[in-house]
Amino acid sequence: MIKILTACGAGVNSSHQIADALESEMRNRGYEVQCEAVMIKDVTEDMVSQYDILAPIVTPDLGFDVKIPIIECGPILYRIPAMAQPVYDEMEKAIKSLNK
Amino acid sequence: MGSIISFANAIFNPLIALGAAPVMLIVLTIIALCFRVKFPRALEGGIRLAIALTGISAIIGLLVTAFSTALTAFVQSTGIQLSITDVGWAPLATITWGSPYTLFFLLIMVVINVAMIFLKRTNTLDVDIFNVWHSAFIGLLCMFFGANLFIATLLVLMIGVMKIINSDLMKPTFNDLMRNSNNPMTTTHMNFMMNPAIMVFDKIFDLIFPWLDKFDFDAAKLNQKIGFWGSKFAIGIYLGVFIGIMAHQSPKDIFTLAFTAGTALELFSQIGNWFIKSVEPLSQGISNVATKYLKGRQFNIGLDWPFIAGRAEIWAAANVLAPIMLGEALILPGNHLLPLGGIIAMGVTPALLVVTRGKIIRMIIIGALELPVFLWAGTLAAPFVTHTAKVVGAFPAGVPKGQLISQTTMEGPIEKFLAYLVGHATSQAGMYVVYALLAIAAYILLFIWYAFQMKKRNKAYAEAATK
Repeated sequence: MIKILTACGAGVNSSHQIADALESEMRNRGYEVQCEAVMIKDVTEDMVSQYDILAPIVTPDLGFDVKIPIIECGPILYRIPAMAQPVYDEMEKAIKSLNK
Repeated sequence: MGSIISFANAIFNPLIALGAAPVMLIVLTIIALCFRVKFPRALEGGIRLAIALTGISAIIGLLVTAFSTALTAFVQSTGIQLSITDVGWAPLATITWGSPYTLFFLLIMVVINVAMIFLKRTNTLDVDIFNVWHSAFIGLLCMFFGANLFIATLLVLMIGVMKIINSDLMKPTFNDLMRNSNNPMTTTHMNFMMNPAIMVFDKIFDLIFPWLDKFDFDAAKLNQKIGFWGSKFAIGIYLGVFIGIMAHQSPKDIFTLAFTAGTALELFSQIGNWFIKSVEPLSQGISNVATKYLKGRQFNIGLDWPFIAGRAEIWAAANVLAPIMLGEALILPGNHLLPLGGIIAMGVTPALLVVTRGKIIRMIIIGALELPVFLWAGTLAAPFVTHTAKVVGAFPAGVPKGQLISQTTMEGPIEKFLAYLVGHATSQAGMYVVYALLAIAAYILLFIWYAFQMKKRNKAYAEAATK
């Protein structure tokens, strides 16, 4: 099980679109992922340490070093499948590199 | 003619009698089908909306019932007239999406956006369908204050066109803030319609107080220190305790208030998510149709604003402004809102970030100066919000009559005053027509000045890029 963390303003709109898209696309590609969406303001170093991959819209300035891979997922929000494709490919690469 | 009306009544009256949630289930499903969304997906959206409406009603009931006695006691013991409960954005969005007019305003906004792209008046395709509720809210508010649908539509269109133009104006700044110029992300979000007013303050800063900028601090470090103390449930607890103590409640009641507020704030955003999901099939359907007609055109894509939420200044400013707003709310004449659900000023700080480009001291000072406008606008809108909540069945019965709900930091405060003036101008004519026209003229002129400033800024960005 790969645990992915995503975040946005209120933790309900953009981040949930990303979470839902990642879960269904990665499942289609044969990976078991669980993606959680939170308010970016509530992301702490401790919280990040419990996940395998961070999937924000754009890399955020959190005030600490993020030690897990960061995949920017903004293009998922464009609602144009061809533009989201490279993000999914990146995500798949990151998942493979975890060797879980 | 008479037979057509009685035929329509025969069909629609039993439907309307079903209540808001079933009506919106049917309407949303049908509209999604019109955009060629497959039936199960369309129906899923409709059902989710009905569930979200029902859910948000339950939480409003929980919160308002728990707080109504305490707020009445608060007013009696302190003499401070803060009797409107601030429920935050989610209930207001849900209530607005509970009105079929919102779908009408959505359709005209989609049409105007596509028309502007065809006429090369904009480079932005807005796919943030959900947030059309901010525009719809202005239209509905305008009608509540007496406008007819035609006048309200004109107001919504005017603000809508300006929002789309603004998304083009802000694009280079977004690239700068994200430190990434290879992306199509921009936003037509209502909160950036405060930019012109903020820019006036920003220019005053440039002239008189530029030395204050050297006190800018590391916003990310501040946020990290605040940690969970600034999260939704924690804020609910503080305010519950605050109101409870001020209202001389028993310790047992104070705990109940605190935990109820924490619960409600957490659940509001949970349910906010349910109904964002309910609009999802329709959003995808509209985007599919729009992109099909615009094949071959490169354009920017209008999203919800949080692609810049990674900037720590937004949250540092919101954290610092929260207690400032509470203080202002207590002493501001004409304000009747006690900050609770909207106390983290997400509807305020992103625009401050865009105009000041991250100068945190300016963000906080200008934010503190403009917050009264938000509080007044929230107070102004409270009767409308409460009325609409009752219409869609989202307001608990048995709450005292004077109890109202609204939001402290709702996007588009100036636009609410415009809606008030335009509404009264339509229904009462007289001097209101003059006031409304003057206000709209001032609104447009300020925007033109702002657009000119932004074009200067964008030219500087373009020159820097070629160097």
